[in-house]
Amino acid sequence: MTEATLSMNSFETVFQTVRALLGATGADLSVRDAAWSRFCAVGLPTTRDEEFKYLPLNRLYETVYGAPHGATVSREQVAATGLTTPAGFTLAFLNAEPAPELSMACSLPRGVVVTTLSQAREEMPELVEKYLSTVATFDGKLGSTNDARFVDLNDALWQDGAFVYVPAGVVVEDPIQIVYVTTANLGPIMTQPRTLVVMEQGALARVAECFVGLEGQAFVNPLTEVVLGSRANLEHLRFQDETLESVHIGNIFVHQEADSVYSSINTQFGGDTGRVDLNVFLNGEHTETWLDGVVVGAGEQTLENHTRIDHAKPNCNSFEVYKNVLKDKASGSFNGKIFVYEDAQKTDAKQTNQGMLLSPTATFNTKPQLEIFADDVKCTHGATVGQLREDALFYLRARGIPKDQAQALLVYAFAAEVIEKVKVDSLREMMTEKVRAKLS
Amino acid sequence: MLTIDQLHARVEEKEILRGISLTVNPGEVHAIMGPNGSGKSTLASILAGKSDYEVTSGSVTLDGEDLLELDPEERAAAGVFLAFQYPVEIPGVSNTYFLRSALNAVRKARGEAELTHNEFMAHIKSKIKLLELDNSLLSRAVNEGFSGGEKKRNEIFQMAVLEPKFAVLDETDSGLDIDALRIVADGVNALRSEDRGFLVITHYQRLLNYIVPDFVHVLVEGRIVKSGGKELALELEEKGYGWIEEELAAKA
Ligand SMILES: Nc1ncnc2c1ncn2[C@@H]1O[C@H](COP(=O)(O)OP(=O)(O)O)[C@@H](O)[C@H]1O
Ligand SMILES: [Mg+2]
Repeated sequence: MTEATLSMNSFETVFQTVRALLGATGADLSVRDAAWSRFCAVGLPTTRDEEFKYLPLNRLYETVYGAPHGATVSREQVAATGLTTPAGFTLAFLNAEPAPELSMACSLPRGVVVTTLSQAREEMPELVEKYLSTVATFDGKLGSTNDARFVDLNDALWQDGAFVYVPAGVVVEDPIQIVYVTTANLGPIMTQPRTLVVMEQGALARVAECFVGLEGQAFVNPLTEVVLGSRANLEHLRFQDETLESVHIGNIFVHQEADSVYSSINTQFGGDTGRVDLNVFLNGEHTETWLDGVVVGAGEQTLENHTRIDHAKPNCNSFEVYKNVLKDKASGSFNGKIFVYEDAQKTDAKQTNQGMLLSPTATFNTKPQLEIFADDVKCTHGATVGQLREDALFYLRARGIPKDQAQALLVYAFAAEVIEKVKVDSLREMMTEKVRAKLS
Repeated sequence: MLTIDQLHARVEEKEILRGISLTVNPGEVHAIMGPNGSGKSTLASILAGKSDYEVTSGSVTLDGEDLLELDPEERAAAGVFLAFQYPVEIPGVSNTYFLRSALNAVRKARGEAELTHNEFMAHIKSKIKLLELDNSLLSRAVNEGFSGGEKKRNEIFQMAVLEPKFAVLDETDSGLDIDALRIVADGVNALRSEDRGFLVITHYQRLLNYIVPDFVHVLVEGRIVKSGGKELALELEEKGYGWIEEELAAKA
């Protein structure tokens, strides 16, 4: 048997296991079966697939992943990874199952819901079904289509996840943290975290999605859907810190209505192989979209980000800054798609993407991809790849700062433009510390 | 304190320093003057530990310790300070953070306790006044967007904060107007003390009216061709570097 079929067999086994579990709860399996057959029709990608050109997925072929299993993990073990828990609501999952022992409830403004998807589906089914799976799609979208196979995989296999709902006009001051802890302490597992964030018009909140690996080889395949009503404002932090034997493939879909503001800070530190696809669809005028990212790769990590912004309506602004720091033999890549639809006059889209290579064996690939079908637009993109500046390093060392510390300081300075946008102090400090720790 | 003995250095295949010997005793200020390209900055960079240069022979010691064996940060900890001819801009790193990291690193290397935030702030606030710099400079990124004069004053400010044993000033006067020059000179003079040595590199005599040196050396093509007291600087100013070169030619 070839590796590919062996691997698909292990996926099939997981699917049957999950299907049986879901079937026992009386869930509608037709959606699952449809998603599963879409996934099976294309199977796992190889580097011959354009969208996966720089992402060797050998681990997915070579590893036999089991379905997620229960585990026991203490708060201290999670904290030991460096994850901080800011004051506010924390909803935690362990191997994609709700983990009340790692969660921290606190009072929320009237009408705001932060709960598990399973519970939300029981208690407010109309609200959940209205949005679930409706955002994560490329149907009807313009331009060359993305690869949706991992979206289909999550759709087929997910078991639970987080639901955040902020009603119209409500402001949630404290950050809402969603933590997905994975431990593959009994052998390789795959998990399918699922998040749905719905913000009604004029709602304002900060949501931090944190993916933390404790042990072993996991394949973590999260899918997040975000709906922003008109004038809603969401600051969405994403923190990827899986184990160095894991594969993390995350998909995020955002739908913005008029005058809404979506600010994403997307960071990747962990994983042997990590990829995040962030797709934003602008469905109303005068929206603002800020996509910022930081990648710090070391050892033999391969970390990539693919962003896609669909400017479907006029007068929308999007700003993108991705910073990639790569040392040792790490490799990184960035693909930034911007589609400006025929109607979307006065679009202002700015994309910047910078790579810093700390060793001659580190590599970085960058691919801006602008497809513009309107004529009165302002779209710019710039990409640079450079090394640590020797003159700056010498300057710091000549003042007494040891080499390691000086390097970390300069790398931090490079990433600071993005990290300093994290407004929650404890989370910003966590990022800073992660950067420092990874580079020393 | 600082002893340079028969120092030869080159960059790539080019010989730049061709046998420099110089001793600076505690409390002394030595000036090095010389035409552009004579090797002044090369000497300064080698003292601070820049790795672009290859020392082919000779030695440099500070209080008997072999400086050339040390990394730049170890030299700083040993008390060496270089005021750069071209201070480097470092976007994203605030001056305060930078100074605090530097001071604490140096103190740590010397076995001294790190300063608390309040102690540190008190220390730098007193020094910033000395250089007549604005407090807002502290929160700005290191040298980013500074004017030429601000950069030079910032170098001397850093020196005042770090209180080195031996300082090299590489053309700190170039690009300064007369007021800034006086401020910089006052800053340096305030640090002059019996146990501190200075090497003041300059192209013009002007600075030496304010920082009066004990000795003046003339560097031409990587060699010290003439040494004397402070009056040598005036003579050079009057007659120009051509005079020295002619004198050398006559001797040859
Ligand atoms: N990094 C370098 N690479 C190549 N040549 C250099 C380098 N640094 C200095 N030089 C050369 O060495 C000579 C002395 O330069 P420098 O020490 O800067 O002189 P000064 O400071 O006296 O003007 C010059 O000819 C200069 O071009
Ligand atoms: Mg010079």
